[in-house]
Amino acid sequence: MKAVSAGGAVVLEAERTTAPRAPARHVSLRRLWRFKWGVVAGAIMLMIVAGAASAPWISPYDPVTVDIRHRLAPPAWMDGGARAHVLGTDQIGRDLLARMIYGGRVSLVIGVAAVLISSSIGVLLGLAAGYVGRRVDWAVMTLINVMLTFPFVLLALAVIAVLGPSLVNMIIVLGVADWPLYARVIRAETLAIREREFVIAGRALGMSHWRIVFRQILPNLVSVIVVIATLQVARVIILESFLSFLGLGVQPPTPAWGNMLGEGRLYMLNSWWIAAFPGLAIFTTTLAINLMGNALRDWLDPHMRL
Amino acid sequence: MLRTIATGFALLLFLAGASLTPADAQTKDDTLVYALQSDVDSWDPPNSVLREAIILGYNVFDHLAVRDLKTRRVVPNLALSWKALDDTTWEIKLRQGVKFHDGSPFTARDVKATFDRVLDPTKKMTARGNHAKIKIVEVVDDYTARFKTDGPYPLFVERLTAQVMQSEKVIKEKGHEWMQEHPIGTGPYKLVKWDRKHEHLLVRNDDYWGPKPAYKFVRIRIIPEQATQIAELISGGVDVIKAVPPDQMDVINKSGQARTSSSPILRTAMIQLDQAARSGPNPFTDQRVRQAANLATDMDVIIKHVLNGLGDRVATAVNPMAFGFDSGLKPYKQDVGAARKLLAEAGYPNGVDITYNQSPPTVEPGLLQTDEAIVADLTKAGFRVKQNYVGDNTVFVARVRDSKAGPMFSFSWGYYSVFDADAILHDIFKCKETYSYYCNPAMDDLIVQGRSTLDQKKRAEIYVKAQKLLFDDAAYIFKWGLRGVWGISNRVEYQAPPDEVDRMFLVTPRKKS
Amino acid sequence: MKHFALQQLVQLVVVVVGISVLAFAILHVIGDPVLLLLPQNAGKEEYERYHKLLGLDQPLYVQYWKFASRAAHGDFGTSWYTDTPAFRLVLQRMPPTLYLTTAGLVCALLIALPLGILAALKRHSFVDNLCTMIAVAGQAMPIFWLGIMLIIIFAVRLKALPASGYGTWQHFLMPAFTLGAFLAPITMRLVRSGVIEIMNMEYIRAARAKGLSEERVVIKHAFRNACIPVITVLGLQFGQLLGGAIVTETVFAWPGVATLAVDSIRNQDFPVVQCAVVLLALIIVSVNFLVDMVVGLIDPRIRIGA
Repeated sequence: MKAVSAGGAVVLEAERTTAPRAPARHVSLRRLWRFKWGVVAGAIMLMIVAGAASAPWISPYDPVTVDIRHRLAPPAWMDGGARAHVLGTDQIGRDLLARMIYGGRVSLVIGVAAVLISSSIGVLLGLAAGYVGRRVDWAVMTLINVMLTFPFVLLALAVIAVLGPSLVNMIIVLGVADWPLYARVIRAETLAIREREFVIAGRALGMSHWRIVFRQILPNLVSVIVVIATLQVARVIILESFLSFLGLGVQPPTPAWGNMLGEGRLYMLNSWWIAAFPGLAIFTTTLAINLMGNALRDWLDPHMRL
Repeated sequence: MLRTIATGFALLLFLAGASLTPADAQTKDDTLVYALQSDVDSWDPPNSVLREAIILGYNVFDHLAVRDLKTRRVVPNLALSWKALDDTTWEIKLRQGVKFHDGSPFTARDVKATFDRVLDPTKKMTARGNHAKIKIVEVVDDYTARFKTDGPYPLFVERLTAQVMQSEKVIKEKGHEWMQEHPIGTGPYKLVKWDRKHEHLLVRNDDYWGPKPAYKFVRIRIIPEQATQIAELISGGVDVIKAVPPDQMDVINKSGQARTSSSPILRTAMIQLDQAARSGPNPFTDQRVRQAANLATDMDVIIKHVLNGLGDRVATAVNPMAFGFDSGLKPYKQDVGAARKLLAEAGYPNGVDITYNQSPPTVEPGLLQTDEAIVADLTKAGFRVKQNYVGDNTVFVARVRDSKAGPMFSFSWGYYSVFDADAILHDIFKCKETYSYYCNPAMDDLIVQGRSTLDQKKRAEIYVKAQKLLFDDAAYIFKWGLRGVWGISNRVEYQAPPDEVDRMFLVTPRKKS
Repeated sequence: MKHFALQQLVQLVVVVVGISVLAFAILHVIGDPVLLLLPQNAGKEEYERYHKLLGLDQPLYVQYWKFASRAAHGDFGTSWYTDTPAFRLVLQRMPPTLYLTTAGLVCALLIALPLGILAALKRHSFVDNLCTMIAVAGQAMPIFWLGIMLIIIFAVRLKALPASGYGTWQHFLMPAFTLGAFLAPITMRLVRSGVIEIMNMEYIRAARAKGLSEERVVIKHAFRNACIPVITVLGLQFGQLLGGAIVTETVFAWPGVATLAVDSIRNQDFPVVQCAVVLLALIIVSVNFLVDMVVGLIDPRIRIGA
């Protein structure tokens, strides 16, 4: 067993040359109960996603509507609060609940989009490295090493300095920076599966390389990819909040939990709600995703070394 | 075994960390701690436009004259007396027995050397514009200097408070580069060390000719985040902070550890528009667009709700405290409909995209918050504003100097603490001046007229015309005269200075009653 | 061993070269550096002069070679805003960051080691679940939020610690804890899985069979071997640490390289950015190399197998 850091999530690389995989899925509702935390987390995530998706309908206000006269209004249940603004308003009178909902939207979109990009790149390169081997493998591994050595945040900052901060640039940067994580694991798995009998049989039968990779190897990797991807969404959301907090991510007035926290920092000693709610949101969402991801991993394959 | 190594290593580290306490071991009782949001670019005051450089300059250098804060009159400092020999000649008698920090005596030759350097066009010093009316300084004897001016110079006495005296020996022997980091003045404090962007340490000048400061050491800490400044103030880590956002004043006042103190100051805020196209072609070269911007914003509501009333609305950029202020001129009143109409007339029926370069809140309380409100107003009227916040004042000022700050940038001017309309009109509204993005020959004429006559009544009339011109032409987006807000620890006696200069040498410990 | 060392060294060189290319590229992707440097209305001759001065009229590979050779001597040019050599600026700010990251690592270890071992020993018990939950929650917490909360509690309310800055050991406590909290969750899970793995190994069972008490088994045998993956991970986490350091330094006004890098990126002060990027990479890579050497020395499987 070898522990390697893959950009922040530590991966225990399986040296799997002979150990057989446990039978894939054993879907039954009774088994689901063992993962009650995961199920609860999943339900919470569903609510968050639904809320974010239906933002235009459920949001009480436009998140960028400014109302100076009602700035720094406390949440409805406090002294000075009003029903009109359930979670209060921020420093220029924008409704906090509306910004929370839309901010969630932004965070989730960035998370999913970035993960789609990084998983696609990572899986393709990992497959290539694992299957083709030799020079391609060496090239990909070196690239992975270069990228993993470097602290992602610094890289992201430099790139954003060059490209300018914006939603799209964030997605690109976060997407491109994380592919080594997938590539490394996929490569190891591919290497293992490549030696399995059904693959060797396939070659003997004259199946083309493409078929082998995409019809035989890839389907076996789906569960690994899904688990990594889920956990990565959480990581991307936190990274996005880092960058927005530093002022280099999503730019105001577009709400994002990270930049809301950054803006609210000055007010933590009197109008604490401006920073507290986004902070809570980041925490809850990330926790839920992590729990869900862990449960997913245990459900799909308890022996998965992730 | 590994564990022992690890523990040993950790111990070593903490020991190393503990040894980081500054060697001088200043105690809390003899050290005053002052916080700045952004560091100075140099310790050579005539070479910097930053207010922080002026403040630090006051503590390490002396001026020929200073303003008495109570009577607002100019009183002697390094110069004991001055008189006008004729319309274009002034003679100054200097104080004797004053020494620079390096031991050399202060004489009229130092006065000459200082002004020669500042006035030299090849040196491109920032303060040159202030003193441009001075043609030459002559040394009459060790303690007498004669100034010849280019025509009558009504602000001569005022401007004696706006130039620190530097050492001829240092200028000649050490040179310009050295002077940026090593201030040798005659003032109440000396610079011990400067960690760029981190902190400065000053120590009391025990050979000072004037009253000795109460605190032996002054630590000037650079703390960029306002939240951190406030946290430090109320937890006792810092004694004085500036530019406190008005909506945080209650936090400080309720803390029991510190209090706020506010005062109207000479500084006036505005948003410069690139009428002169210094940064290239832009929508603000059109007077209608500029007027639309002024009509779009409701500055009165912003002052009331965001600044909690701590601001004095002005029609242009001339401050109510400055000579020449026209109180009869009423500022723009918000009219979003008219703004939209003007934009459409100017060729932007669907609005216009502009970038707004924002400076950090080093001297303007609530700048970040009021900026957001202003941007929101502008957006409603059709200006699609892209905000670009520059967190470092040195960088921001460099961009302004290099003509890269347009088409729109936040700005404020402290008049170099000279209470006269000329002190802002010349530097901020005259063609081709370093910090002016406005160019109007009619305005230039008025400025020149205003500084060329000694008749105050006539000057006042000229300045009324100038302000009307600025208003009608909507030169910039006009805001308000600032009220400075300071946060002061309860362990010291200090009050908000109306000229924005924090004189560390006047701060005394509060007596325990 | 020699072969292994050589291999690692080659990788190190490749990575450093890769980073230097990246750093070099930053300056040239941003557009025309001369335009950035000069005032807006500078005349054509001024432009030509600077163009030549910066060596921009020469082919890219010559420019890169000049950059690299100068960099090797510590000459990264002068900061565009302060007229001080970039190298001097970065070097001056290095110690605080290094102290912080090491203190953070130590903190992480102090939290993760006992918790991880405890969780592993009392596997599947309530204690184990609690520790796992703490780890998952810890991963979900945005550390800038944690840092700000610590300042409010310990500096503002309790007045027990300084709110920000650098100088005495008290200044270290909150930042080191914040950074440690950032790393601890992952480290804890690693320690736990490492110890579990080893507890099941043959030689442990043999030790138990020999009649050794459980504590001796754990301390003498299991712990020592569990250290290997932990050291590996910690070494690799050094890069990750730097990312956490950026946010920690920002929150606590710590005068380190991370804040210098962020400021320089924001100000587009590219000589300093290049210098910071290259020097930080060098440090990270060297640490990784050292860790690999140490682990290779301890565990022969790594240097022979892999």
